[in-house]
This record gives sequence, structure tokens and C-alpha cells, in this order.
Amino acid sequence: MAIIKVKNLTYHYPDSRMAALDRIDLEIPEGQFVLVVGGSGSGKSALVRAMAGLIPDYYGGSFSGGVYLDNKEIRQLKRRELVQKIGLVFQDPESQLVMTNVEQELAFGLENLALPNNLIKRRVMEMASALNLTGRLDGSIPELSGGQKQKVALSSVLAMQPEILLLDEPTSQLDPIAGEDLLTMVRRLNEENGLTVVLIEQRLERCFHLADRILVMDRGRIVYDHDDPEKVARWAVANHSRFIPPLARLFASVGYPAVPVTVKQGRALLRHDHRPEREAARPPSPPSPKKVVKAGASSQPLIDMKHVWFSYPDGEEVLKDVNFTINPGDFIVLMGENGAGKTTLVKNINGLLKPSRGQLRVGERDVRQLSVEDIAGMVAYLSQDPNDYLFLPSVREELAFTLHNLGLPDDGISEQLLKSLHLDSLADRNPRDLSTGERQRAALAAVLVSRPQLLMLDEPTRGLDYALKEELGSILQQLQTAGTAIMVVTHDVEFAAEYSEKIVLMGQGSIIAEGNKYAMLSDSTFYCPQISKLFNNMVEGVVTFKQGQAVLTKMMAINNKQALSV
Amino acid sequence: MLAYREEDNLIHKLHPLTTVVFVAVVFVLALVFSHPVYLLGLLLVIGTVIVGAGHYREWKSYLKFSLVMIAIIIIVNGLFVHVGQTIIFTSPDLLGRGRINVSLEALAFGAGMGIRLLVIISAFCLYTCAVHPDKVMKLFGRGSKSVLIMTLSTRLFPLMVKDYYRIIEVQRCRGVKFDQGRWWQRARNLLPIVSILLVSSLERALQLAESMHARGYGSGPRTSYSRELWRPRDYLILTTVGVGLVLGIWAALQGWSSYSYYPRLPAIQSADVEMTGLIVLMLMVPAVLNWGWGKWPLLKSKI
Repeated sequence: MAIIKVKNLTYHYPDSRMAALDRIDLEIPEGQFVLVVGGSGSGKSALVRAMAGLIPDYYGGSFSGGVYLDNKEIRQLKRRELVQKIGLVFQDPESQLVMTNVEQELAFGLENLALPNNLIKRRVMEMASALNLTGRLDGSIPELSGGQKQKVALSSVLAMQPEILLLDEPTSQLDPIAGEDLLTMVRRLNEENGLTVVLIEQRLERCFHLADRILVMDRGRIVYDHDDPEKVARWAVANHSRFIPPLARLFASVGYPAVPVTVKQGRALLRHDHRPEREAARPPSPPSPKKVVKAGASSQPLIDMKHVWFSYPDGEEVLKDVNFTINPGDFIVLMGENGAGKTTLVKNINGLLKPSRGQLRVGERDVRQLSVEDIAGMVAYLSQDPNDYLFLPSVREELAFTLHNLGLPDDGISEQLLKSLHLDSLADRNPRDLSTGERQRAALAAVLVSRPQLLMLDEPTRGLDYALKEELGSILQQLQTAGTAIMVVTHDVEFAAEYSEKIVLMGQGSIIAEGNKYAMLSDSTFYCPQISKLFNNMVEGVVTFKQGQAVLTKMMAINNKQALSV
Repeated sequence: MLAYREEDNLIHKLHPLTTVVFVAVVFVLALVFSHPVYLLGLLLVIGTVIVGAGHYREWKSYLKFSLVMIAIIIIVNGLFVHVGQTIIFTSPDLLGRGRINVSLEALAFGAGMGIRLLVIISAFCLYTCAVHPDKVMKLFGRGSKSVLIMTLSTRLFPLMVKDYYRIIEVQRCRGVKFDQGRWWQRARNLLPIVSILLVSSLERALQLAESMHARGYGSGPRTSYSRELWRPRDYLILTTVGVGLVLGIWAALQGWSSYSYYPRLPAIQSADVEMTGLIVLMLMVPAVLNWGWGKWPLLKSKI
């Protein structure tokens, strides 16, 4: 097994004046599980790419310092030697799989190493059984789910038997269950095979507890490095860093004597510390919903679905008797497993699909009488990938393009939106040159410029870090306050808990349950945020971070009082 | 989209070379034969194998397209070829340019060529539906760069098609009208789609190249992995198909499989039917084995 050392590493991407990596010194002993956290542009990806030898060999740019594997500079190693020691799994499975068949994909790296056929066969079989892919070896990659594709990508790297596994946000494009599976698998490999793991991840609630060591990066530097998650959490709260899981942040933010990392630890702490006062610490009553109805607007729902059924031409029934309304000023989160019919529901609302039976009214008109383009002015839709919108040379032109399509005048709305979405300084930049969060805001501006009454977003938090998620959440809440109804399709329970008002749960084409988030999220075992899980059966109805803080502070105050009286 | 679909039947469990040889033999014989009986025999063979392989649905869509083509061939041939002697229809005088005589021979020739086209298109259908493109390329390419490029295109093309539809939907929700206006306006409206598709594909290509680089692609000579096995069914089919090919070529050399439609259609000899029967028998072996494979577990275990 190998030890990896980074010595005084500084790196600039070609044509960039800002250092992507700034004097990095780091040593990772064999078998360690290292979690790297930080915002977008903090240098996390550059760091793992430097460790894999892709920087500077593949990317170019200026580079000083070095990366050493067992005291040997990796640039002096032959590439074939290097790829057998260090493997790298990327973010998007679609952009890293080369073949159309699972078995051939697993063999791809081994063919590149010019291994003989019988050895490749053995490695492929071993890898397939280790990662439970044996039944899928003949499978066609385009037919696999996102989670399975990422598993194939991971296996294909592991088949080369690396000693160090680098993972660059491997779960960012996956749903929570598939993401969890992948991380558990990585942890197992680390524990059972002693594989060194360096993992970049945004959803820290899934992996904070798995790591032996946490590195926090900011502007190309490692700003904190510790093996105790509690210390990292306290440091993060003291330094206003967003990069800790909600649970740890909650305890650290109220100055609790101990900081748990998992729900299990948190619940044990609460049980031990606050037996009697749990009852007294009721959460503050949830704020009343921010219903804003624009002056002059009727009380009629924006979207009214009555007994809506939808089947695809092949007869597959996807929506079954859906009854559902969206009113002005609603903030709804639509949740449910993959294939539950969420996307089909959204497509029925924006007119891309027409209901097979039942009534769906958009405003005052039946959706069957309206074209997609008619609905476009009233219902805006932001898809998962903001790149699907952006093609013009500047952000400003993207806004003008939507107005032109819908035949609307620019009465100052563009400037107003650019300002409110903090895009005014970027208005003349090419949107493709912007960062992830900025691109998403640019696409959002491009759909909001028509002043829609309803904004629908599909998995908008996928791939976003905590800071960007907070930014998006507050933008959506501002829109809601201004009277726009918001509907978000997401698997992100934490986001739903913090920002939504109403949760709609879909399953097998029907709406299984709906209600306000306090009732829906605190009452569920799976669809509930870490904070609800923490207080489950102790204090009821705790859903948001603020509620959690209030309850915990109250508990601590009662505890202190009792301690004093004793 | 990738037309290949894995099915649980013998045709899909053959060594890719066996299927490729079968398709090639049918294709070559379709070019060699001009006798309608021989061509009909080939059509019977390829049709039975396609249906046996579970691709009737795909074949039907190929057939719809081909039948239109055949109708056009028959009509055009009937109208413009005037060497046949059995006139079955004479048009009225066309604006002083004379009458058009349509002969049975010209129509029969068109129909014969139509059957040939049908056999060739059906062979193509079987190839696309029942042979995995990667496996064929591995078979002939042994790790070369062009093979990888072809594989990558079969992998990326469906992704691009998916992207295309998704982007169209997204842009329609933004008010872009794709089905209104004159053709140039519609074409102009497609420009954003094309440009988004290009930029996104380029970004994906760069990421893919990075992932290939990180897995050692281009670090030296590579090997080609194959786990295809030869089974008795492959030897059996290769042998009988080989015999079928030899018989076909022999029949062609003897001049039996050619047919002169003009000036009058000659009578069909019983020897032609017998020879066709023999060739069909040989080429039908994959379909017969496929049927037995599904029917008798013992046969399945033996071949």
C-alpha cells in the first residue's frame, strides 16, 4: 500500500490568474478515508486531479511543487504504472462510461494495461461478484439506472486494482438511496481491503461519519484538517463555514458540550442529558404559511387537477386518479421514488403531455385547449441541467430571448431580475463560462423574466453545495413572498424541510399523502430530515434548523436551571 | 438509438461471428440470385429467423418502408420498360405523345427486384437487432482506435438523441415554437437546440476523454478482451450455412438461379423449386434449432 504526499503544490488552470491550488501540503497514510469538503471553486477537484496525475499532464496550466507516491514523484512514474496505483471516479456516470456493455466497460481499463485475456476475465469476474454486478454483466449500459451506472464506473476503476481511490462527488447525480449504497460500498472497500479513499462530497449528512479525516478547502487552500468530526463542526460554526452536516451544525451552533455526527449519537446524547425536560421543550409553533395573493387576483387555483389519469402510447399507466391544486403563493415540494410519476405530472402541467382522462385546468382554461407555448408565459420550468437553456453570448441576451419568444416587452424586468438574482455584474458574460451556481441563476432568470405565476423546478439542488443551496432556497422564498407559486421536484429532504410549506408524496402514479411539511416530515421514517429524526418521539413537529436550535437551547436552559437548583 | 435488444433465444446466444456469417450468406445469395423462386426462398429463411429471434415488431417497421419502395419500383419499371411482350394494360393517348404499354414481364421484373430488396433489408434488420455492435467490432477490430470510435458513437448517439428531445422540451417551455411558421423559421428555431447540443456534447467528450486517460487509455499497446464461446450450435449452423452457400453458388454457376424476365416470362421448372428447397433447408437450420431450443430442454443442454 502506498502513502501519498503533496508538497507545496500550487497550480493555475490555463488562462487563469487565480490559483486553483495554493501551496498545498498534505500527507495521506495508507488505508485512510479522507473526506474533502468545500464550496465550488475551492480547489477540491483540482486537488484530486493533481493526485491522479491529470493535473498538469492532461489539463496543462502552471504547476509548482509535487505529488509523491511512496516518495516518488508521480510525474516520474509511467502512466501505466500510475493508473494501477491511483484510480479516479468522476461525478457524472454518463460522461465516464465508454462501452455499451457492462462487462466490456469493466474490461476497458484492463485492456488499456494490455493484460492477457484470461487475467482480464478473472478480474472482471472478481469485481462483478464483489460489487454485486454478476447478474448484470451482459446488461446494456444505456438501460441501467444512474446508480447502477455509477457502480459500473466504480467497478471499472477498481478492476485495475488501485491502492488509492479518488472520488470526485460520485453521488451528486444520484438519488439519495443510490448515493447511500455507493458510499456504503466505498466504506466497505476501505474497511475490508484497506483501500485508501479520498472522497469529495457535498451531501455531508451521508458521509461525515464515514471519514477518518476531514479536509476543509477554500480558495485553493486547506483551511482546516482534522480527524475528529466534532472539532471540524465546532471550527465550521466558529468560522461561519457551511460545510458540516445539519445535525453537527445544530449542536455546534447552540454551543452544546458535545457534537454528534450521526442521528444515533445525537439521540443517545439527548436521551442521556435531558430525560425530563424533553417534554417541556416544545418547539415554537410553526410560522403561519406565507400566503400572498396579489391584489386583484381571484382566489381561483393556478393549477387544478381533478381525477387526472395519464398513460403513455404503449399503454403504461403513469398517473392514476391524481387530484391536486396549486394556489398562488404556494411552496410545494413533490417527492417520491424514481418512477413514481413526478416528471409525468410536471409535464402534464406544462402541457408537454396531455392527460388521458380527467380535468386539468391551468388558470381558467382546460390544458387540452392550450399549447406548451401558451402555457409558457404563465408556468415557468427549470430543468435539472441549466446548460439546457444557455447558448447565447451573454446572460442579458438569454433573458431577451425568452421575452422575444413570448412576445413580451422589456419594461425593466430584465434589469430588475439580474439585480435580484445577483447577476448584474455577470450580465455581459457568456453564461457557459460561469460557475455551477451562477449558471443555475442565469437559467432561472431566463425563465422568470416572463413573470410566471408558477415556477416548477426539477431537482434544482443536485450537485449544489450547502452555500449554493441556501442561496437558491432564499431566492425561491423571495419569489414566493412576491406571489409566485413554487413547485420543486426533489429527493432532497433537507432542502424540503428548510424552505417548503407543503409536501406532496407520490408513489406508483398516485398522490399517497400531502400536507404541511411539519406534519408530513416529522411523521415519516424515510422522507424526513436529520433534525426530525433526531427529535423523533422526543419532541414532536421539529422540522427546520431554526426549530431544532430553539428546542435544543430550551433543553439546555432547563438542564442548567436544574443543575443550579441542585 | 441502439436497435440491439437482448432476447432469450438461440439466435441471441450464438457466437457473433456465426450470426454475421449467416447474415452475410443471405446477403450474398440475394445479390447472386435473380430467380424469383430462389429469392422467395431466401425471404422465407430470413423472415423465419427474424421472427424466431423475437424481432417481428422491428421487422414490421422495416417491411412497411420496403413495401412502399417495392411498389415504386414495380410502377416505375412497368411504366418505363417496354421490352415485355405480354401487354396487360394500354393507356389512352397522352397528349399526342403516344400510348404507354404496361407489360406483365416489366411488372414481374419489378416484383422480383422488390423481393431482392426485401431480403437485403431484412438481412440488415436481423444484423441490427440481433448482433451487438460492440461484439462485432471487437471481432474484427482487435483493439484498434477506429473500433473504439465506433463503439463510442454507438454509446453516445442515443445519449445525444435523449439530450435533443430534452432540450426541445425545455426550450418549448421557454416559448420557442418549433412547429409554427415557415420552414426557414422552424429551421432557425432549431439553431439554439443544435448549438446547446454541440456545446454539451463537446463538454461530455472532454470529460469522457479525461476518464479514459485516467484509466490508462493511450498509455501503450492494448489488448482486446473477449469472452465469446464457441458451442456446438455455432459449428452446426456454420456448417449448414456453408453448405447452403456452396449450393447457391453452384446453382448460380449452372445458371439455374438466374431468370430472364424478358421478352416473355419462362415457366418455372420443378428443378428450381427442388434446388431452392434444398438451399432453404440448409439455411433454415438456425430457425429450426431456435425452435427446438425453446421446446426441448434436452436439446438446449446439448447444443
